[in-house]
Amino acid sequence: MTKKFYLNRRIWKRRLVGLALLVITVISIFPIATTILVSFKQQADITRKPPVIFPCDTPEQKFDIKACRWSVEGYQRVFAPKPDEGSLFGFKFTGNLLRIYIPNTLMYAFSTAFFVTLLASFSGFAFSRYHFRGHNALMAAIYAVTGVPLLTNILALYQMSITLRKNVGFFDDRMFLVFVYLGFFLPISVWIAKGFFDTIPRELEESALLAGCSTLGALFRITMPLALPGLISVFLLTFVNVWNEFIVAYLLVTKNEYKPAMFGLYDFLSQNIINLQVLAAACIIIAAPIVILFLFARKIFFKAMVEGAVKG
Amino acid sequence: MRSAKPRKPISYHLRKSLPFWLILPTLIVIIIVQVYPALYTIWLSMQARHATGWEYVGTQNFERLFGTGLFPESVGHTVIFLTGYALVTLTLGFVIAILLKQKVPFTGVYITLLFIPWIIADIIAGLIFRLMVTPDYGLFSGILQNPALFPPNGLSILTAARPAPWFGSFPFPPSPAMIYLILAASWRALPFITLLILAALQTVSHEVMESARIDGANLVQLTRYITIPLILPTMVVALFFLMLGGINGVGMVFSLTGGGPGTTTYVISYLLYVIGWGQLRFGRAAALALLIAAVNWLLILSVLRITRINDRSR
Repeated sequence: MTKKFYLNRRIWKRRLVGLALLVITVISIFPIATTILVSFKQQADITRKPPVIFPCDTPEQKFDIKACRWSVEGYQRVFAPKPDEGSLFGFKFTGNLLRIYIPNTLMYAFSTAFFVTLLASFSGFAFSRYHFRGHNALMAAIYAVTGVPLLTNILALYQMSITLRKNVGFFDDRMFLVFVYLGFFLPISVWIAKGFFDTIPRELEESALLAGCSTLGALFRITMPLALPGLISVFLLTFVNVWNEFIVAYLLVTKNEYKPAMFGLYDFLSQNIINLQVLAAACIIIAAPIVILFLFARKIFFKAMVEGAVKG
Repeated sequence: MRSAKPRKPISYHLRKSLPFWLILPTLIVIIIVQVYPALYTIWLSMQARHATGWEYVGTQNFERLFGTGLFPESVGHTVIFLTGYALVTLTLGFVIAILLKQKVPFTGVYITLLFIPWIIADIIAGLIFRLMVTPDYGLFSGILQNPALFPPNGLSILTAARPAPWFGSFPFPPSPAMIYLILAASWRALPFITLLILAALQTVSHEVMESARIDGANLVQLTRYITIPLILPTMVVALFFLMLGGINGVGMVFSLTGGGPGTTTYVISYLLYVIGWGQLRFGRAAALALLIAAVNWLLILSVLRITRINDRSR
């Protein structure tokens, strides 16, 4: 009897924990869910007073699933499709978000993530394998740099960009922005990369060196492939960080055709203060690629996060 | 006749100096983007802009900065923001981590869904929260503007004024917009903190818990005397991460409140933006940036001490 009671209590405890987690998850997803709902409403339902959650009410009934007035007006206004004979589907998207801002963001994020991964793997390898004079001091210095906030350096970088724009002919906002991102996300990536290299046994390299491989050859043929999962997580983390970054681009980019998506979204905010469905649609369009990427590569993200945060 | 001493092959030199060449590009980038701007900011903090160029003004920028009423007010807002942010995030993070550790069915699904807010950009998170309370049209504005619930005129979070302060000029109690900002910021930071605490909880050994349970400790005692002391270092590290993120994060203020209503959500990082790019007083902004950087350095040095990073890298 006693044993059964104990078991029952355990089962109930587990059910309660499951229920609590379910409630917490629903609450934390709620803001996103409402945004998706808003993005599919019509202008007429947006400006109704009092606001309704589902645009499904009729004069007779409070909720009628058949009377729902869903629309893609918000998305239409973001994409702004115009008929065009030459393109594949008979129309092309003329909205700035899809035409300019998102390609820019992709370009910034890819190039920054590529260079960060490359440089971080070089110096992470060096810090992991060699013990030269000043090794620990240099590592600590690089860690200390991660604490310098973007915002304090941005004053000087802003002045730098003004001076360079005046005096250097080939100066390009995009190049400068990628370089600044590179400097901002490199220090923590060096630490994460070093952590990954530390886990690879150096006997593998030593045997390659004994077999006549050069040091660089051992790095590229043996160590890099083994560290690849870790380096991919560095790449993804940087990619997401650049994709989500706003203030640096906002202050450093001057031309409309160089703006990244977050900057473009901020423009949407000032233009569409009443058209909530347009704002919500723009939010969903910009956030969706990153969320989908996260859902597929969850383990890789967690690995880099824990490596960077707990160890670093 | 003795032959000349053979020169060492070039590859030997290369191998000896290889770590230097591997680290050099990283160092160059960090020096240009991080070290030089830091030094420039120090120089800039002692200059003022004139028609002809920069002029040395000594500590005048700092004096002017402290002289404005906005600076102490913003510091007060930042203190309130950080306190609320850390309290909400650490408490909820601890509770959720404990729940996740019980390994009930679908824990993996819950973790995945709970982490979506972390991956969403701060500017989008701010917008999402703004959409919910936009005056008149937001989803919650019907409830919030109900005079029966929030007398006398009903409350609109983004425009309601701050109540009269209780302690002199310290901005407490905060405005509704500030409370909402804290909630929105916590919503976004919570997953990261939960993961940190969960990772620490996994290291609490099962034997210790089991032996305490056999000795008759109940759940509250287990938590109070075993779990919390063992994960306290992680909690402190999490607290510092929150402080760093909270002091420097500005995107959410931009998209959620824009500093308003009035100046009631001016945190110190937003003030830096306003002085620098709103008023174009770069010298004074640099003085403020130095103060923020000093606080950051103190926090980072504390993290270094706590995690004893120098021992680990050896």
